[in-house]
Amino acid sequence: MTKERYKRVLLLLGLGTLLVLVISVFIGRYPSPPGMSPRLLFEDNLARQLVLNLRLPRLLVAFLLGMILSAAGSVLQMIFRNPLVEPGFLGVSQGAAFGAAVSILFLTHHPLVIELSATFFGLLALAATYYLSTRIRYGGWVLRLILSGVAVSALFSAGVGILKYIADPLTELPELTFWLLGGLYSVTWRELLFVLPFALVGIVVVYVMRWRVNLLSLNDDTAFSLGASLTRERLVLLITTVAAAAALTAISGVISWVGLIVPHISRRIFGASAEKSIPAAMLLGGGFTVIADDLARTLLAGEIPLGILTSAIGASLFIYLMVSMGIKVRRDG
Amino acid sequence: MDNIISLDGIQFRYGPEDPIVLADLSLEIPTGKITAILGPNGTGKTTMLHIMLGLLKPSRGGAKVAGKSHKEYSKRELSQMIGLVPQFESIPFNFTVFEYVLLGRSPYLNPFQLPGDLDLEITENALKEAGIAHLAEKPVSEISGGERQLVHISRVLTQQTRILLLDEPTAHLDLENQNRILSLLKRMAAQGATAVLTTHDPNAAIFAADHFVLMNRGKIEAEGNLKEVITTQNLSLIYRTPIRVEKINGYTMVVMDTKEYHG
Repeated sequence: MTKERYKRVLLLLGLGTLLVLVISVFIGRYPSPPGMSPRLLFEDNLARQLVLNLRLPRLLVAFLLGMILSAAGSVLQMIFRNPLVEPGFLGVSQGAAFGAAVSILFLTHHPLVIELSATFFGLLALAATYYLSTRIRYGGWVLRLILSGVAVSALFSAGVGILKYIADPLTELPELTFWLLGGLYSVTWRELLFVLPFALVGIVVVYVMRWRVNLLSLNDDTAFSLGASLTRERLVLLITTVAAAAALTAISGVISWVGLIVPHISRRIFGASAEKSIPAAMLLGGGFTVIADDLARTLLAGEIPLGILTSAIGASLFIYLMVSMGIKVRRDG
Repeated sequence: MDNIISLDGIQFRYGPEDPIVLADLSLEIPTGKITAILGPNGTGKTTMLHIMLGLLKPSRGGAKVAGKSHKEYSKRELSQMIGLVPQFESIPFNFTVFEYVLLGRSPYLNPFQLPGDLDLEITENALKEAGIAHLAEKPVSEISGGERQLVHISRVLTQQTRILLLDEPTAHLDLENQNRILSLLKRMAAQGATAVLTTHDPNAAIFAADHFVLMNRGKIEAEGNLKEVITTQNLSLIYRTPIRVEKINGYTMVVMDTKEYHG
């Protein structure tokens, strides 16, 4: 794709995403599905309150969530040289889930405490994965982090299992289960403010380093010979993107498949170079998550957990891409 | 300066318990020449290149580039001075040839910078120099092995380094592609670059190199010019198989001494 064509397509994608955001403001079950007419904003006070206090912050969080998961997924896939990696992969999702469960069972149901606990445990899982990877004495950097991530995820996942088992089936278990399935039903402006600093740092760092990510995807000896400070640069990208993903997971619950499938689609359309595919992946991921959340709030009378919808759509797309076009997992050289 | 890289009493092992890969090895690489490091597989050639690059630190002894140890340079300075074409290079994402070769400009850009017009121009010229300008927009997965090696070398060309380290640059290539790559290296050396290449194929070394180093089991067995190093006796010793060095139409050639089997 030439530079001019890329700019044009990206501009179209940006306008399309903006359109999705604007339309989504009016989609919902009030006053009746699939939504309201814009006129209602001026006539109906309840509609105005609903849009300003609930729908707008929720839309923006959905958009940030999709952006961050896709950016983190793109970065992780490239620096791990593995197209099947997503942010949940380093133990972050399971760590955050454990943190939320701990708060629901032992501390309080207060949203802020749940968020803080989930973020804390998500980052703790990342730190544990990283520490463990430095203690493994064989294999390259990628293999050691992958093995550590699998082990740490499994431990936190077992922890969540135990907490579910001892949770009070009438009061605690439903809330815990709904949190684990993922959703943005409780988002207000407060949640948006909570994730905004993490999200902005993540987005800015990935955006300014987008060309450099290509270099970090090469073999260690080649990247070294080209002047990369491998450990330091990879850590900067890992920590900023995963911290943002952990903060967003803390308020959304476990949202899977976005971080895996969106980078694939973006690379397919815009080419493998991260300089082009990462900005596009952020827009695509944001738009995708907003649409999925529109469906989550509108399809049924009760809300469908967002994580279920992203999994269903994401996995279907993945199967389609694999069967019809062939996602290449190449082992060459 | 006569010698741009010097290794002095290098010993190397990967861990304190691991076997010694290089034992008390000293070597000078002459400036502006092509040095071929010959030896059987698993003899420490790649390890030695990694020490010259600064990627590995010797357990004992010292390495110097242009008179200074690697530590005295910043990563960026080193990468503007020494380029590497590794033996195996997997490119897991399907960059176009141009996007991949452009990465050779990284040493001149900080981590937050995008390549500019000058970098694009240098990349175009490198592709032309290597004779693969027509492949620029092709994905790297869709080109042949010989073209791929030319792509790797183009990447080092854009890096504009005085020193090139090439690990088995002609392995697995047919004769035409071997010729293309070695001729390109000779042109670069004629313009003042210093190249160090490892190979287990003596004929490729004879074609390209000015200076020869024979390695065996982490040690240097012989070092010098063609006549001094490429002898029947030396080669038969390190390859542990009967080999003869012959003059054919004025060219020195290394052949297997098949008489031992058929005669």
